[in-house]
Amino acid sequence: MRLKLFIWRQKNAQDKGHMEKYPVDDVQEDMSFLEMLDVLNEKLILEGKEPVAFDHDCREGICGACSLTINGIPHGHEKGTTTCQLHMRKFKDGDTIYIEPFRAKAFPVIKDLVVDRSAFERIMQAGGFISVNTGNAIEANSLPIPKKNAELAMDAAQCIGCGACVAACPNAAAMLFVSAKVSQFALLPQGQPERKRRVLAMVNQMEKEGFGACTNFYECEAACPKQISVRFIAMMNRDYLCSRVSEPVEV
Amino acid sequence: MILINYLKSTILSKFVMAITGVILVLFVIGHCVGNLQVFLGKDAFNSYAYFLQERLGELLWLIRIGLIAAAVFHIITSVWLKFLNWGAKPTKYQVKNYVKARLTSRTMIWTGIMIFAFLTYHILHFTMGVVHPEDYNKTDYYVTNAVSVDKVNNGTLNDTEGSDECCAEGTATNAKESIINYNGSMYKVEGDEPILSERHDAYAMVISGFQKPLVSILYIIGVILLGFHLNHAIQSSFQTLGYNNPKYFPKIVAGSTILSILIVLCYIAIPISILLGLVGGRV
Amino acid sequence: MTLDSKIPSGPLKDKWDKHKFEMKLVNAANKRKYKAIVVGTGLAGASAAASLAELGYVVEAFTYNDSPRRAHSIAAQGGINAAKNYPNDGDSIWRLFYDTVKGGDFRAREANVYRLAQVSNNIIDQCVAQGVPFAREYGGLLDNRSFGGAQVSRTFYARGQTGQQLLLGAYSALSRAIGKKQVTMHNRKEMLDLVIIDGKARGIVTRDLVNGKIESFWADAVIIATGGYGNVFFLSTNAQACNVTATYRTYKKGALFANPCYTQIHPTCIPLSGEHQSKLTLMSESLRNDGRIWVPKNKGDKRKPNEIPEEERDYYLERKYPSFGNLAPRDISSRSAKEVCDEGRGVSATGFGVYLDFTDSINRLGKKVIEERYGNLFEMYERIVGEDPYKTPMMIYPASHYTMGGLWVDYNLMSTIPGLHILGEANFSDHGANRLGASALMQGLADGYFVIPYTIGDYFARNKFDKVSIDHPEFKKTESEVIEKTNKLLSIKGKKTPTMFHRELGKVLWEYCGMGRNEAGLKKALELVPKIREEFWQNLTIVGESNDLNMSLEKAGRVADFLEFAEVLLWDALERDESCGAHFREEHQYPDGEAKRDDEHFAHVAAWEFTGVGNKPVRHVEPLVFENVQLALRSYK
Repeated sequence: MRLKLFIWRQKNAQDKGHMEKYPVDDVQEDMSFLEMLDVLNEKLILEGKEPVAFDHDCREGICGACSLTINGIPHGHEKGTTTCQLHMRKFKDGDTIYIEPFRAKAFPVIKDLVVDRSAFERIMQAGGFISVNTGNAIEANSLPIPKKNAELAMDAAQCIGCGACVAACPNAAAMLFVSAKVSQFALLPQGQPERKRRVLAMVNQMEKEGFGACTNFYECEAACPKQISVRFIAMMNRDYLCSRVSEPVEV
Repeated sequence: MILINYLKSTILSKFVMAITGVILVLFVIGHCVGNLQVFLGKDAFNSYAYFLQERLGELLWLIRIGLIAAAVFHIITSVWLKFLNWGAKPTKYQVKNYVKARLTSRTMIWTGIMIFAFLTYHILHFTMGVVHPEDYNKTDYYVTNAVSVDKVNNGTLNDTEGSDECCAEGTATNAKESIINYNGSMYKVEGDEPILSERHDAYAMVISGFQKPLVSILYIIGVILLGFHLNHAIQSSFQTLGYNNPKYFPKIVAGSTILSILIVLCYIAIPISILLGLVGGRV
Repeated sequence: MTLDSKIPSGPLKDKWDKHKFEMKLVNAANKRKYKAIVVGTGLAGASAAASLAELGYVVEAFTYNDSPRRAHSIAAQGGINAAKNYPNDGDSIWRLFYDTVKGGDFRAREANVYRLAQVSNNIIDQCVAQGVPFAREYGGLLDNRSFGGAQVSRTFYARGQTGQQLLLGAYSALSRAIGKKQVTMHNRKEMLDLVIIDGKARGIVTRDLVNGKIESFWADAVIIATGGYGNVFFLSTNAQACNVTATYRTYKKGALFANPCYTQIHPTCIPLSGEHQSKLTLMSESLRNDGRIWVPKNKGDKRKPNEIPEEERDYYLERKYPSFGNLAPRDISSRSAKEVCDEGRGVSATGFGVYLDFTDSINRLGKKVIEERYGNLFEMYERIVGEDPYKTPMMIYPASHYTMGGLWVDYNLMSTIPGLHILGEANFSDHGANRLGASALMQGLADGYFVIPYTIGDYFARNKFDKVSIDHPEFKKTESEVIEKTNKLLSIKGKKTPTMFHRELGKVLWEYCGMGRNEAGLKKALELVPKIREEFWQNLTIVGESNDLNMSLEKAGRVADFLEFAEVLLWDALERDESCGAHFREEHQYPDGEAKRDDEHFAHVAAWEFTGVGNKPVRHVEPLVFENVQLALRSYK
């Protein structure tokens, strides 16, 4: 099939950037979206033009590296799917496809479709952990956890840190990402000792990074390739308010 | 400044939005129930208005200050958050598609601003009488020592309708019977003679106000905007305040829509009925 | 060169404890005076960096990804083994040790494997404490399942995303250390060379992938945990960026590469759909429990699978291995698929695929049961292939998946270069010639959490370190070598992209050094690979600058190393004139297709020493001594 692509090209962080048109022929429907871009890039290199830079790695939907906004939806229109798992059979011959980077002030563009998501790293570093040194651990089965809680924690823990939630949110809020990590630990007994400190520290860092506020559009949940529920945001709201009230220590 | 310290945290800001929002929604519902008394007739409506304005005393101002504070915080916070949110997404997508965000949720700030404009007008009109003062400056005289009775038709009327001089004293002196007709309603008077008092004629104000088609249309638009706003707002406050149980949340979302539609219908029933002459034809 | 594995003396059970006691310690207050560089932040690297930082060492960690969480450990699905014996089915450290040695076809070191089994239990404790949401029973205790190659249930899992959860656990520990400024994290920086000063590994040279800057970093020890080289086959289940560069360049600096021919092929992957394909996706092997594998009896039968009548189908595994049928071991199952496809009976658009048919199981058990067991896998298959496996048989084909070979290390995980430690898939030590399911995660974490924190202290305590800085001439020399190589890649200006060369190389290796290998084929490949390499250096084209984010330049550097490394792999496969585990030399097999080992001549580790590009490397031998297990025919019958 033939497609008309409009791709965001931006030389570097300082460049203003623009959309550029690329017609591509002989796209096969078995190709993944990124393989379609590979084909385009191979063609561009052979023509002596600079290929389109985009982040990708595992190509099986788990590493969270791929990050394109396709026709205005992060990771494209197929539900619960990363860009690398989106296949061209979901498009029609003659389609026009707009490909843009994830947009947010906290995710500055590095080049073309590659953005800097290190804000997520700093949020994790602020509190996205349980403080247990190697060797400190107690025997694993000495801490029974209700299956329901373990399952719910796993629902939250599935987050791949791709940032689609931020990209989809008209406010560029990072609440879904942060709440998934906060809730995973809040649901487990291991997470209790640091529970209040953690939510305060992570939210505090999130706000420093310049993410927007949650206005309950639920676009994040719709774009999330792991379909993480916005209920974790509600859980975090509750956790945050309780912690703000009861935790005297400033973080 | 300590009052707006909470703006430093988006979650606290959202919390303030939700709490003030809930207060305002409760007011909207209460106000709606009150207004619907217009269908019970002039006396009931004016009694209700009189109760609110005169009987509540300081409490009225307490409520008013509360509501104004809620509105002020609601507005300050929303504007602050809006600027913050715009700043968080400085570059917009060339093409943007939405999956879950609805028109109502995406236009909160705009419906909010329009509701605010409408509300200002609405208060200037019906609360302060600044616009269309002719609607506002109406007085209702009523018998204070009597109770209304139905199906009594042999009383005599001693007073003329709404004459100012007469009512300056606030009494009607010619009553001999225990059943009187006043202003077309029959009263059973407890003493020998009815005592007339004056009060603001809110009923007449509403009727004459809404009999102007332009005012009614403006009101209907304002209320529909409010409905849009509430449709997102009600369920959203549950989420912000931390209640999202997957079993009940869809019901909350549906309930939010139903409630906002109900509120709109109740409110607009009033101007429509008046325009159609179903209510207030006798004024 | 004699390879001293430094295995402690004494009974197997006491070796590690004895060794831990005999190792020298670094005083707590002195730890901050030592700096370690960790390259790679997957399970092994992240766990090592975090653990060393917790002890008080200064750590600098490097990844070419934008975050440590993207490392390919994240893609492991199945689970992690441990000898907890929670199900009370007779498991023990000894049994896990024995299963692993046997699974590796008796080509691994007893002492290393035993230590792995010993610390496996600590790993589970550690991960649970970090908040890894392992699957649980209703009573709240941990659930186990059974996995290939074991008769006991010892595999801990978190849905189909165990690797992800374990990596995120190690990542959270690493994040904590970064937040506390105990680890300096360098994202998007790729190690391009090792710097050796006075015979010790003292630093690395990296390229910043965003601005192309070539930088040096010094340390007192270098730890490499950069994973395996499965992408040498071009198509594999590895991530796109997985490469051999870090390990290969240290090999060029003098470290030995051990057993590179041990590459594991996974039998149940989604087949290739065309030339454009960039990777192969693995599907859990558990599918073989309920699916029947077949191909048409007749060559070139292009009918739809449902139109082919029963009598014209060849259920070749059931036919050839009646007792095992569709559950034949990974290598046998993979090789049989290749055989039928080579005969021209393969299915799928490319002819490289076999059917995995669930019709019988659906009829027998009902669609609901199949959906419960494999629902998410079927969904993934449908997303990729666009066919509904409930209605049309799945197509599968084997793919390169894991590499047991790697840089040679001793018991302390140190290579032949003092101070250079290799962890995880990047080393060769624990899996022998074949790796059992759910053992890779175990090994990566064992190395990072529970081995290197001890052994690196011993190295620090026993050696004196002169102060070095990145202004040392060795650093400057290495930097200029790296810059020169980069510029050379950019200056060729030929007509073929790096991917084209990579694909060519992959085809040669897959053909001659994939599931089945023979002398003639390997010799042919040894002729073909240098030709591709030669053309690469004459006809490569890359667009863009060196001082910019340039993904084709990155790729070209990696392909250049694969093109050299491939020869080492081929030499090893040629010289190991026996079949063992995943290394199958067609000349050496039992009539039923089982690998035929030659314990008399090949019960050893082959470690290769670099002698110049294009030259045959020198093969060194570390004999394997089996004192506790008896070498037996690896049979699962």
